[in-house]
Amino acid sequence: MKKASKKIIDTPQKLESLRNKLEKQKSPSAKSISICIGTGCAAQGSRKIYELFCEAVKDSGSKVEINTKCVGCHGFCERGPIVVVQPGDILYQNVEEPDVEEIFRETVLKGAIVERLLYKDPTTEALAKTPDEIPFYKSQQRIVLLNNGIIDPTNIEDYIAVGGYGALSKALFSMSPDEIIDEVDKAGLRGRGGGGFNTARKWRSCRNAEGTPKYVICNGDEGDPGAFMDRSIMEGNPHSVIEGMIIGAYAIGSSQGYIYVRNEYPLAVDHLTNALSQARERGFLGENILGSSFSFDIKINRGGGAFVCGESTALMASLEGRTGEPRAKYVHTVESGLNEKPTNLNNVETWANVPAIINKGSSWFASIGTEGSKGTKVFSLVGNVENTGLVEVPMGMTLRRIIYEIGGGVKNGKKFKAVQTGGPSGGCIPAEHLDTPVDFDELTKLGSMMGSGGMIVMDEDTCMVNVAKYFVEFLKKESCGKCTPCREGLSQMLYILERITKGEGEAGDIEKLKTLPKLLEGTALCALGKTAANPVLSTIRYFQKEYETHIKEQRCPAKVCKGLFSYEIDAELCKACGICKKECPVDAISGEKKVPHVIDQEKCTKCGNCFLKCPFNSIIKV
Amino acid sequence: MKGKSKVIETIVKRYEGDTGMLIPMMQDLQEEYGYLPAEQLRHLAIKLDVPLTRICAIATFYTSFRLAPKGEHEVTLCMGTVCYLKGAPQILETICEEFQVEAGGTTSDRLFSLQAVNCVGACALAPVMVVDGKYYDGVDPKSALEIIQGLSSSKEATVEKEAQA
Amino acid sequence: MHTVTIDGVKVKVKEGATILDAAQKAGIWIPTLCYHPSVSNYATCRICMVELDRGEWKQLVTACNYPVRKDIVVSVSSKEAVNARRGVMELLLARSPDSEELKEIALRMGVKGTSYPKVTESQRNCILCGLCTSVCEEVIGQSAIGFSGRGVDRTVATPFRLASEDCIGCGACAAICPVGTIKIRIHEDTGEVEISPFKSRAKLLVCEECGARMVTEPVAKSMFDRVKIDWEEFRNRARLCPKCRRKRSAKALELSGNL
Repeated sequence: MKKASKKIIDTPQKLESLRNKLEKQKSPSAKSISICIGTGCAAQGSRKIYELFCEAVKDSGSKVEINTKCVGCHGFCERGPIVVVQPGDILYQNVEEPDVEEIFRETVLKGAIVERLLYKDPTTEALAKTPDEIPFYKSQQRIVLLNNGIIDPTNIEDYIAVGGYGALSKALFSMSPDEIIDEVDKAGLRGRGGGGFNTARKWRSCRNAEGTPKYVICNGDEGDPGAFMDRSIMEGNPHSVIEGMIIGAYAIGSSQGYIYVRNEYPLAVDHLTNALSQARERGFLGENILGSSFSFDIKINRGGGAFVCGESTALMASLEGRTGEPRAKYVHTVESGLNEKPTNLNNVETWANVPAIINKGSSWFASIGTEGSKGTKVFSLVGNVENTGLVEVPMGMTLRRIIYEIGGGVKNGKKFKAVQTGGPSGGCIPAEHLDTPVDFDELTKLGSMMGSGGMIVMDEDTCMVNVAKYFVEFLKKESCGKCTPCREGLSQMLYILERITKGEGEAGDIEKLKTLPKLLEGTALCALGKTAANPVLSTIRYFQKEYETHIKEQRCPAKVCKGLFSYEIDAELCKACGICKKECPVDAISGEKKVPHVIDQEKCTKCGNCFLKCPFNSIIKV
Repeated sequence: MKGKSKVIETIVKRYEGDTGMLIPMMQDLQEEYGYLPAEQLRHLAIKLDVPLTRICAIATFYTSFRLAPKGEHEVTLCMGTVCYLKGAPQILETICEEFQVEAGGTTSDRLFSLQAVNCVGACALAPVMVVDGKYYDGVDPKSALEIIQGLSSSKEATVEKEAQA
Repeated sequence: MHTVTIDGVKVKVKEGATILDAAQKAGIWIPTLCYHPSVSNYATCRICMVELDRGEWKQLVTACNYPVRKDIVVSVSSKEAVNARRGVMELLLARSPDSEELKEIALRMGVKGTSYPKVTESQRNCILCGLCTSVCEEVIGQSAIGFSGRGVDRTVATPFRLASEDCIGCGACAAICPVGTIKIRIHEDTGEVEISPFKSRAKLLVCEECGARMVTEPVAKSMFDRVKIDWEEFRNRARLCPKCRRKRSAKALELSGNL
């Protein structure tokens, strides 16, 4: 038998007293500097900034306790690296290495503000000191992301200090498995991974299914391009996912769990692996959790780089050590899933909601959101929008509020054209539907879907045929190739879209693009194939004219499709510097010194080199 | 380097010979060599008593596996929606043309391997290029080329060192 | 037992039987390509789509692997079902335009051609149904071929695309292939059989008397391993083809004067 570790927490009382102790340790005078090390901020050098702050603390020899810590994603990735100083909750954005010294000297030591690093409202020019004063954060309501950016994801004590594993303790010692499922049912929690299936119903079916062992799986194979909600949760608050899974496993009667993380998320794998071993060390995982009779453990698997593995049966095939090919779901995975045993799979955000529901109760959760969609949803708001980042809002907030109030509207004063939601299985929603409340059912009505929460804002310079082509190309590349309609049908659709974007569209193409989706929906084996044509259908539904202009006039109105517009030089802006002439690979540009240059349209191959290289923006698309 | 059969032994032992953990085993194998050597895959098949065809199917299904040695450096270009709309395809085209390399391939001088991936989840920084784990944000064809041109080969470096000495 | 009503015909089948089983019992033809009773069922080709009547709504399902778990009503001839099968067949015809076997099934379905152009490459009209890989793994137990790559790059291949060491040249893959992709070639010069397009070869046993080709050595060996007959002993006896063996036995009997 294993020797019990000293750190082990084997009663709910011990957990409670540890939490109290941690709370008392926080001296009110203590100062802290939190540096975001989410992928977005880390990419902009936040790790180095963390190190510099650590050095500064050491060198200062300050008598007051100064805590420097790495925290998870704040959501405001656009303005990274982000540094928050306590007391005062002062948020600095776009912090660079040379700024560290000033922040430390002025704010940490003297409590003064470094104004130039504060958030400045682009329209009112008002300075915001704390997150609450920034419009990006003001309208958000955070449940899942509540502790992201506050706790150190690599330190389990930080999680325990904010009440972590309290829900588990409550579930294990004062609730029966059925009561937990009922509570989740009353909360109205629906799966955040795409389908929006009722979570409690899934748990109950799995609990009632025959066969042992039963498995619970966390789907962290977040594959939708433009979506990184789950990555931020796994990186920024891994214990919330793990706690959710343990509660779910107890409710279902499972002894083994798996977390399947996308290969492209190395930091998430690190943080989860670390969190699992800390949880095990404390007795939240393993035999007799918290001293109860319940035992459960979690293994972590990295994906191999296949989008289709986000599909539950493909993911399970991957966990069985096979190629990630989906199989028919005529018998549900809750009855026969991984290794043909009852298996319950939920995505990261779904699991992360569970502790909050158990802690605060179903009626609290159900009071947030709309009739059919309860709680909040995290979106990754990206694309041509002023404030890019992660936002968590109550279900039912309109697209307009999310994009304009939180997102700050379309970037560079351009006109809004569409917002793409739901990833490759979703669709593009045009301006006339901006006042739609965002929930599972409303988005489906518009021909799109909630999906996992990607929200890509597109401005007037976006070609919708090109967008459709992008998604079809993406899915064709990611199709496993097992079933005929997905493999062949996507190739056929891409062939048509490629022709249209090259100006070789034919009459009847749009009709074909409408028939193929129907075939795929009816005959493809898995959801990837069945919904593959949604981006095509939704763009035809709202932007058919644009397709027609490509086909009938061989013109791309957004001036994106190569060959369907031409480049010209604006004589007034041209400084005759000669750069374009030098950069042109086919000698299509002529002009002497001090004389505006001209493009020979006959010779021009529309490669766009001159457009990119002109320092005076004098080359225009017409 | 460890003895060849030893590598497989160690990896298989790490996962207690559980064939369900075949993919993690292959990931570990790739970490060891930088790619999946055919000879080692044969060893693995025998050791686990699974068909070699199954191992080869996995190796060619998941994009993170490679069956040939990779270049000295790793260049990853994000092809997520936002990066795509902000010009990633042009960047890819430029790199491929300039260095005569395909996405998923390695330059003939083995200086770098190029990968076009779906989405690295750093959409706020689009277009994103990752070189040896370091993220570059807001790249364009020109800056991408400059970054790659700045990569040096360790061979060159030794030559330089020798020259200096 | 559950009652399945197919196009109005009622048949009774056991729990877990498929719609295809029920259709066969009812004497109703549903086209299949990737289905074979001796191997597992992966429902890859999607040519056997039928419409399941769920009362409030209807759903297209694959007949070959939809398990009957209660009384159900199914339509093979509904417009939706026919169109679905036709659509899938048209996609297959675009991929593999030169397979006579495929065209024959298409004709029987009433599909005379395809409106789609050829946009995907197929290795000698292969439709990737997977029967060959399944029979090699599940029935023969060799796993000499498997799938390689994914999506449109998916092919059936040997490991590393080299002649397989595990292939015993039994030809089961060629026999089960529904579209004529896999062929058996006899190389008279070397006395070998080649399973094409995989380039795998195996030595054939030759009759000492008349020189006729018999089964491949590895096939015979694996069979006799299974029935636990000593290979050397067998080899000593089996130097002749069945015809010559009969002749020789007859002669021996004649000589012994027993005839």
